Amino acid sequence: MQWSLRPWPLRLLFHQRVPDERRFLERCFMNVAKILEQRRVQWFELEQLCSLLEVRGRIRRGSADQISRFAALYRSACADLALATAYQLPPATVTYLHQLVARAHNQLYRSRQSSLARWGEILFYEAPQAIFADPCVRVATLCFFGIFSLAMFAGYQEFAFPGFAEKMLGAAQIEQMEASFEQPIQGSMSHYISMSAFYIQHNTGIGLRCFAFGILLVPCLLTLCFNAAILGASFGYMARPESVGGENFLEFVTAHGPFELTAIALSAGAGLSLGMGWFRTAGLSRLDSLRTSARRSIPIISAAAVLFVLAAFTEGFLSPSPLPYVVKAGWGIFSSGLLMFYFVVLGFPRGGPRGT
Amino acid sequence: MVGNDTAADGRKPLDTTIEVVTPENIAFRYQLAGPFRRLPAFLIDWLIRVGSFVLIVILMFVIAGLLGANAPLAGLLGPFVTAGVFILYFFFSWFYCVFFEAYFSGRTPGKWIVGLRVIGVDGHPISGQQALLRNLLRTADLAPPLSLAGFSPEEPAYQFFFIPTAMVGLVAIVCSRRLQRLGDMAAGTMVVIDERGWQWPIGKVDDLRIPALASYVPADFRVSPSMAKALAAYAERRPYLSPGRRREVARCLAQPLAERFGFRDDIDPDLMLSSLYYRVFLADAVPPPDLGALARFSPLAKDAVVPAAMAAPVAVPPTGAR
Repeated sequence: MQWSLRPWPLRLLFHQRVPDERRFLERCFMNVAKILEQRRVQWFELEQLCSLLEVRGRIRRGSADQISRFAALYRSACADLALATAYQLPPATVTYLHQLVARAHNQLYRSRQSSLARWGEILFYEAPQAIFADPCVRVATLCFFGIFSLAMFAGYQEFAFPGFAEKMLGAAQIEQMEASFEQPIQGSMSHYISMSAFYIQHNTGIGLRCFAFGILLVPCLLTLCFNAAILGASFGYMARPESVGGENFLEFVTAHGPFELTAIALSAGAGLSLGMGWFRTAGLSRLDSLRTSARRSIPIISAAAVLFVLAAFTEGFLSPSPLPYVVKAGWGIFSSGLLMFYFVVLGFPRGGPRGT
Repeated sequence: MVGNDTAADGRKPLDTTIEVVTPENIAFRYQLAGPFRRLPAFLIDWLIRVGSFVLIVILMFVIAGLLGANAPLAGLLGPFVTAGVFILYFFFSWFYCVFFEAYFSGRTPGKWIVGLRVIGVDGHPISGQQALLRNLLRTADLAPPLSLAGFSPEEPAYQFFFIPTAMVGLVAIVCSRRLQRLGDMAAGTMVVIDERGWQWPIGKVDDLRIPALASYVPADFRVSPSMAKALAAYAERRPYLSPGRRREVARCLAQPLAERFGFRDDIDPDLMLSSLYYRVFLADAVPPPDLGALARFSPLAKDAVVPAAMAAPVAVPPTGAR
């Protein structure tokens, strides 16, 4: 038994492996230029297919042949990269191959396009649940509406808090505000349209800034409270009976106020809950925890974005329109009820299969 | 899936590259982009944003002016244009980058010009959500803003202008391993250098002395894989070095080889390595050139009596070899 087995491996080694290896090395060493010449054709083809597929959505239009060809080319490029050391490919080519394979890999494993149903689930299921359960949203809402109402009260009571609104807003801004609300809304629609566009841009900007600064926590709270105080003081000042254009101001803000103010508070809450990821790590590394909390804050900021859009439409079409005040007030009350329903009824923690 | 720096043996190059391992167990490398590559991209984007915004606004007003006289509801046209400008400003300032990064797989025009791309930390192209997050959070990265009012408190216009100092983002980039700013950290993205393009990696032989010298390398001399790699790297970087530096770099390898081959010791080290490179990588692929008069010269030390054509400072006019 033993004698028949022993010589074989040696002979095999001698006859097959050694010459093969030498031929392989010859091929690898001497013909880099030739190898490159051969492989380059396929690499270029893969590159072209990549740029074809990279235009988003084009993949469906690519033919089946092209796609299977793409997979084959990708595999062979991977093999080339793996054999780069054996082939003695020059470093520049290895870099090129790395980029090519990465590019093709990205086309093979592209991210799932978000569907409409998924957004529906985010907006009508995940967002209210997250908003109801998130303490950061509560903190932001309390801060915003608390300071807003305090500033409004202080701005309104000109005898109890003399000069509060004037100091808060500055004389120039008060003058400007009074001037811009001087005309009655009925009959001067043109004036109010451009103004509402300005306020859409301005207030949505405040909300987004609150969200962005949320990652640093303190600047978020600062921006939020500062703007709450400014808004509250101007509301209070304009509500005084003797202020110029106060009536028009109140009529203008009634319809879109609930949506817009809530949206600002919500986006600050989303920002805060994003920033709390630095501290509430739940066992993850800080970076991973931040990424997780960012993913968690996306439903909240999406809800805020929807509210901003609703507020913008209200502000653009209803608020400056010459419709009677009852309609605007009715819409304001209706939108508040809608928000209540959204936050409380949809948001109330539920058990069940997907319960939090 | 994310394998950063699989080189656990501690030989990881001290470089701004990051390695991603795919399910096929292929590791490919990305080169990260630092602040000095990203700043130009940001500035170009800013210029494009401002420029196109101004252009569109002018266009809107021109069209409104042309329509203005005889359009119905002429009185409302002006306010609508003003409103449009505000809304446009809002979208340009917040969603310009989001749009481009989401639809052109991580590149804005500025990034495209500079050659950058945003990808996920696992190497995937970024999704719309990631693009939204990282661009909304840019405001925090550009903080703290420097108010111009500090320079001249009297000028009322200065009250409204802020210069973003981007200190937060810079500190975040310095502190993170993947050179991420805060927005990148939250969205799980990174900015990589994305220069594509094929360049023929084999150096051109433009000096007739190279094949001439290569023909004197002993036929039984075998180049080890590591030496072949070193030769390829040398040939790749050679064009970027001055002649003096080339000689200095090449001498370490060329001198022992020249001794081994029995060459004269005043042979140009750069020429020596180039001819070895030619011998290893090109000799088979390129038809042997006509050496002409050079064929008569020998670089060997024993033939030193023959006039030295191979010696370092000789100026043989370089002629095309192929």
